[in-house]
Amino acid sequence: MTTLHDRGAAALPALRRFSRSTTMTLLCVVLAGYVALGISSSGSFFEGPSLRTFLQYLATPILIGLAQMVALCVGQLNLAVGALGGFSACLMGVLMADHGVPAGLAVLIGVLSATLIGLVTGVFIIATRINGFIVTLGTMTILLGAQYRLAGTRTIDGYSATLRDLGRAAPLNIPLVFVTALVAAALLAAFMYRTVAGRRLLAAGGNPLAARLSGISTDRQIVLAHTLSGLLIGIAALTATASLPGVNRSVGGDWLLPSFAAPIIGGVALTGGSVAVFGTVLASFVMRLIDTARAQFSLDPSWVNFLIGLVVLGTVVGGRIHQAHLGRRGGPPGRTPPVPPRSGPQPAGALPTTGGTR
Amino acid sequence: MKTAAVTEPDSGTDRPTDGARPAHRLPFWVNQRLGLLVLVIALSAFFGVLRPAFFDDRLVLFPLLRDISTLTVVALAQMVVLSVGHMNLAVGRMAALGAFFAGFGYDRLGLPLAAGLLVCLVGGCAIGALTGWIIARTGVSSFVVTLAMDFALLGLVSLLYSALTENAAFTTRPDGLAELRSYSLADICAGPVCGSPAIPQLAQFTVLALIGLGFLYARTRMGRELLLTGANPAAAELSGIPTGRRIVLAHTLSGLLAALAGFMAAVGTGTFSASIGDDFMLPSFLGAVLGGTLLTGGVVSVVGALLGTSLVGVIRKGLDLLGVGLESLNIYLGCVLLLALSADRVRTVVSYRKVVRST
Repeated sequence: MTTLHDRGAAALPALRRFSRSTTMTLLCVVLAGYVALGISSSGSFFEGPSLRTFLQYLATPILIGLAQMVALCVGQLNLAVGALGGFSACLMGVLMADHGVPAGLAVLIGVLSATLIGLVTGVFIIATRINGFIVTLGTMTILLGAQYRLAGTRTIDGYSATLRDLGRAAPLNIPLVFVTALVAAALLAAFMYRTVAGRRLLAAGGNPLAARLSGISTDRQIVLAHTLSGLLIGIAALTATASLPGVNRSVGGDWLLPSFAAPIIGGVALTGGSVAVFGTVLASFVMRLIDTARAQFSLDPSWVNFLIGLVVLGTVVGGRIHQAHLGRRGGPPGRTPPVPPRSGPQPAGALPTTGGTR
Repeated sequence: MKTAAVTEPDSGTDRPTDGARPAHRLPFWVNQRLGLLVLVIALSAFFGVLRPAFFDDRLVLFPLLRDISTLTVVALAQMVVLSVGHMNLAVGRMAALGAFFAGFGYDRLGLPLAAGLLVCLVGGCAIGALTGWIIARTGVSSFVVTLAMDFALLGLVSLLYSALTENAAFTTRPDGLAELRSYSLADICAGPVCGSPAIPQLAQFTVLALIGLGFLYARTRMGRELLLTGANPAAAELSGIPTGRRIVLAHTLSGLLAALAGFMAAVGTGTFSASIGDDFMLPSFLGAVLGGTLLTGGVVSVVGALLGTSLVGVIRKGLDLLGVGLESLNIYLGCVLLLALSADRVRTVVSYRKVVRST
């Protein structure tokens, strides 16, 4: 949702619009939080090693948030994010450790199989017309079983040293895995904002009927979104495998909730039709800041979940109040916000959907 | 019994047709509930033949039925929100919160068994009502609100347990809890006739919940209004139904049932800890959706929730007895879910075509 066109006269209104957007708010929160953390740790947080750890564990959350965002942009939900990521990570680990597959090939197989599973999920959804929520719930169950079967109760850590070194490498204290995540985000942004295929995805998510009438196959877009989602999860599994000390069956177990939290805080509508790549990345920063602050003040880890829950709730409720405020002032709302149920009849098209295929 | 707000061609209602459109009545084999019942019985017989131990009253059937009782209540908690077209992702955490209230009552306030249950249910109602109120008031998708609620409760319940207990669990057990846990119908005798030792007494809560919800959806105006709110919120609003209040009601009921399930799970395991309800989300959707409740709202099946949960329970137990490892169980369960739903889809499409051709 960040459409920043720096073209002469259009620049100023665009800048003003940008300053009021979710992204700007998030950017301020991230900067303020970062500075506050730095001050409270009396400067040690600004130094190399802590910055490095901070960024090291940011790569995977960014990637899974983006993976969920791609599914959300066509109005789908992907519950299998954690299971698919864990499965791919274990697959890579097992291939390298037990079967002696070279690291490059194993990584390729892992990422490709994640993409393929995403593709199969998408095809299954459009072939059977079952709600995507339920299909991904099913694939989640299957993949959890498959991951358990691959890894069992052990922790696989005897894999390629090269991959580990790459995972820990950090030229200029910027970890490579973090750079990978940023590159993936940049490519995704370019795809979404600049290519025809990306615009088609958004069109299919924003108004499926209109998209179909203008000659876009919504079915194909759903398959594409799930495939892309699978690909991003594959990359997330790669960064996790590279930076974790070992993979076991608990990898991916706690990915599902953050994967939804990042796009929602970043300003993506659940009903589809909008993306916010930068916002999602920033939201991952915010969540990581909360986690770091928790470690800094040595609080109970449960505080993180509690606070993230409140942040998500605050974001959506605040956004809705803001929209209602804009609506009352008679401003032209881009997308009609669903009116609170008691304040009058609702437009049928703006009802909150639960992520159905049609 | 399946209750739909509107008579649709593929809803497979088993009520007698009103005579207006007799040609559109679907053949009986489309009835999902009947198929499920047959499947559950056939699978039980199949597992029983392969492993006679499957019909062991005390060691297999009793724990199986206790699990099914608990998970049916979980599925009902999900079904109630699905009936207004919403979702409750926080169902497991609401169960944990309910169990926390019960444990707190027993441990700190020294309440008797029934009073603790009451505290637990009130706590569940309160958190459900709060969730429903936020959704109705702001119009934000229920998915997001319950997701955030799930996060918040996940943290809150752990924090409460670690603040109030030494080893993250309430260990005080009031009188009657152990009995409730291990007694079956065999312990209730009317003269010389005793009940089956396979049916746990814990199932009484499930039966109460089933009857209560069945009555609500089939017989009361409130139940029909819930379904209409789910089927078409705009139409419901225009016909004078206070949809906001119905949404709050659905979420309150969901919180109540989730708390009840949490209590039952705590009684089943014997401890009140934060891990109760961790694995409730999947069974809640499995039971409700396999039973024929639509995700889009407006169609519920109370008996279906019981049958769907039973199917999952029987498959899980049967495969376990057959020696299929724990690791593969989930693979089969996921496949069963996808297959069952695809088969259902194929069945309705085929039968609908038949009906269309015959008219």
